[in-house]
Amino acid sequence: MRPHAGAPMSRRRFLSLSAAGAAGGAAALSGCAMQVSSGVGGGSGETVTMMVKADDITPDLVQQALKDTGIAIKRVDFDITKLIAMLTSGNPPDLVRGVGAVDAAYFAAREVMEDLDPYFARSQVLRRDDLDPVNDLWRFDGTTQGKGPRYGMAKDFSQDSMYWYNTSAFDKQGVSYPAELEPTTYEEWLDTAQRLVQRSKGQTSLFGGTYNGLLKATLMSTLTASAGGSLFNDDFSRVDFTTPEARKALGWYIEYCRLKVGASPILPDPNGWDGPTYQAGRLAMCNSGYWMGGMIATDPKLAEVSRLAPTPVFEGGPRVSACQAGTGLWMPKKAPHKDAAWRIFEWYFGEAPAKARASGGWGIPTLKSLRPLMPAKAEHQKRVLKVQENELKHFSVVAFSPYTTGDSFEALFNQVAPAAMKGEISVDTLAGRLNSVLNEQLKRGKEQVG
Amino acid sequence: MTATSLNPEPPVRVRIRTHRLVLYTVLVVVTGLFLGPFGWLVLTALKTPAELASAPVHWVPAHIQWHNFADAFDLIDFLGYARNSLIIAFLYAGLVTLSSAWVGYGFARLSAPGKKTLFGILIGSMMLPQMITLLPTYLIFAKLGMVDTYWPWVLWGLSSAPYLVFLFRQFFAGLPRELEEAAIVDGCGYGTIFWRIFLPQSWPVLSASFVIAFTWTWGDYIAPQLLLSTDKSTLAVAVMTTYVSSAGTPITNLQAAASVMYVVPILLIFLVAQRGFVAGMSTTGLK
Repeated sequence: MRPHAGAPMSRRRFLSLSAAGAAGGAAALSGCAMQVSSGVGGGSGETVTMMVKADDITPDLVQQALKDTGIAIKRVDFDITKLIAMLTSGNPPDLVRGVGAVDAAYFAAREVMEDLDPYFARSQVLRRDDLDPVNDLWRFDGTTQGKGPRYGMAKDFSQDSMYWYNTSAFDKQGVSYPAELEPTTYEEWLDTAQRLVQRSKGQTSLFGGTYNGLLKATLMSTLTASAGGSLFNDDFSRVDFTTPEARKALGWYIEYCRLKVGASPILPDPNGWDGPTYQAGRLAMCNSGYWMGGMIATDPKLAEVSRLAPTPVFEGGPRVSACQAGTGLWMPKKAPHKDAAWRIFEWYFGEAPAKARASGGWGIPTLKSLRPLMPAKAEHQKRVLKVQENELKHFSVVAFSPYTTGDSFEALFNQVAPAAMKGEISVDTLAGRLNSVLNEQLKRGKEQVG
Repeated sequence: MTATSLNPEPPVRVRIRTHRLVLYTVLVVVTGLFLGPFGWLVLTALKTPAELASAPVHWVPAHIQWHNFADAFDLIDFLGYARNSLIIAFLYAGLVTLSSAWVGYGFARLSAPGKKTLFGILIGSMMLPQMITLLPTYLIFAKLGMVDTYWPWVLWGLSSAPYLVFLFRQFFAGLPRELEEAAIVDGCGYGTIFWRIFLPQSWPVLSASFVIAFTWTWGDYIAPQLLLSTDKSTLAVAVMTTYVSSAGTPITNLQAAASVMYVVPILLIFLVAQRGFVAGMSTTGLK
C-alpha cells in the first residue's frame, strides 16, 4: 500500500528510499492539495535551488536567468546521496536533474515528484501540443512509463541507438558504407566491425565499432524491443532474459564484447567514453546519437568524413529507435519555491537556453517549434539532419521498470556478464543468472514502493 | 671448511655496498610505484585530448601543452574554490588540533572512573565508516540551519578527532611526571599546566596534527559535496565535477592539470612543517 499524503515518514519508507541507493525521499509526502503555479512571471525576486551537473547550468546562465526572469539560481551539485538527504530533511531542491529514461518512473512511483500537468496546461511557453514525443519519457501512470501525468521534461535528446561512422576508415578497408536512410541489421553491423578492426602486435590501432548504449539497462531493453519483445513483464516487476527476443539481444551484445571490436565492460575505453577515441581516428563506428555531432563539428576534418547512420534492426524485428536518456529536470513535490521553479523551468526549456542548445547541435530540441534552429548550414550538417529527420519517424518510448535504478541494473549486469563475455559461461547460463540477480533487485524495489 | 676456503666471504665493505645497492634498488622501485600515478597525472596534464586517445600510447607528450594549466585555471573559479578550501582546512585543522590536544591531555594525565572505557569507545569510533553517519549528519545540520555554511567544520573542529586525540595522548603520556608535580607545587591548575607547560613542549605533535587535519579537510570530497552549494564548495569537489564540456563529457587533460595544481598547497604545507611532522610521528611512538 502506498503511503497517504500527509502521513509522517515511516521507517520503512525511509529505508526504501535510501537502501536502494537512489532516490528520493521519504519526504513525508506533503500532500497538501496541489497548489498550482499562477504561471508565467511567478517567483520574481526569489531564489531557486537547482540540483544539477556543471554542464546543465553554467555560471553565465545563472546570470542570464536573473536578468531574464528576476529569479536567482543557487546551484547544488547533483549527488544522489545529497538528494536523498535533502528530500528526507523535508527541504529538497526546487528543481532536480534526472535521466528521464530511467529516473522518471523510479521517482514518480515513490511519489516524490510534482505532477506538472497543471503547470503545462497553463503555460504559454511550454505548450503541450509543442512538446516532442521524447518528453513522454517523463510520464508515468503508476505502472507504465510513457503514459499518464508529466513529471519532468527533457532538455534535448538523441536517438541513442544510432551510430556515427568514419568514411575514411571504411575507404581504407574497402568496406562499403551503410545505407543512408535504411537500417543495417545488427548482425551486419557486427560483421562490418570485424572487417574494419585493425590489430598489430597485440594492440588495436583501429577499433571496428563500439556499441554499449548509454546504460546497460536502456541498452538491453531497447535491443530487446528491436528484436520484437520486451525485457520486462506487464507490470515491470520482473525481467526475463530467456525469452527468444531478450535472448537474441543478449546474445548479440555478448558476441560483440567477445569479439573485442570495440570498448566493452571487459575492454574499457581508457578515456571513460568513446568520443575521444572516435575523434582521434581510432574508431570506425561509434554508437552515439545526434548529440555527438556537436563534438564532431568542432573538428572540420572529422566532420567531413563523419556520417550518422540509422539505428540497426534485428532480422525480422521492428524498427525501433528510442532515446536512452532524455536528461532533464523534475520538481520535487515538497519544493519550497514552486512558482519560481516553474518560471525557471519554462525559461530553461522554452526560452534563451533552449534556443542556444538547439542551435548548438548537441542534441535535438524537445520543443517541435525549435527544430528549425538545428544547425543546417554546412554540407555535413545538412547530411546529418536529413538522416536524423528520417529517423525521428521511428522514435518510440521503451518503458523501463520503476522498481530499480539504472545504476543498480548496470552494477548487477557488469558483475555477472563479464564471465560470458570472456567465454567462461554460455549466454543461456548468463540469462539465467541475470534473471536471478535482477529479479531479486526488482522484488526488493517493488516491496519498497508497496 | 673446504667451501669456505674455496669461496671466502667478501670483505665487510663489499657486503655493505651490496646490501645498500639492494636496499636502494628496492627503495627506488617502491618510490617509482608511489610516484607512478602522479607522474601519469602530470603527463596527462601536458597532452592534447587527441594524444590522450592515441595508439600506441604516447608516454611523453609530443608537444607539451603548458597552456592546459592556464586553461584549467580559467575554466572555473579556481581561486574562489581554493579560497573556500583554505578557509575550511585552516579553520578545521587549527580547531581540531587544539581540541584534540586538550582531550589527549585529559586522557594522558588525569584520572577518572571509566577513563579506559571511554578511551576505548573513542578509539573504537575510528572504525565507523563516514558513509554510515552521512545522512544523519546532514539531517542534524539541516535542523540547525547550518547547511551551506562553514559552521559544521567549526563544530567538527571543536569536537576533536579520535586519531589526533590518540596521537596527543601518546605524546603527553611520555612527558615526565615531575614537570606536572612541580607546576602543581607552584600553584598551577590543570588548565595552566596544559597551556603553559605541556602545549609549548608539544610543537612536533601540534605540527603533525595540523598537517594531518589539513590534509583530511583539503582532500575531503564527501562532506563539502553534501553540505555546500556549488559556489561555496571546495576545490576537491570542483576538480571532480566541473571539468566537463557543454555536453557533460569529461575534459580529462584539464582535469589532470587542475589536479596537479590542487596538490600544490598540500606539498607546500608538508615542506614547511616537514621536520615537525616527522618528529611528531616519532615522539608519539607511531613511527
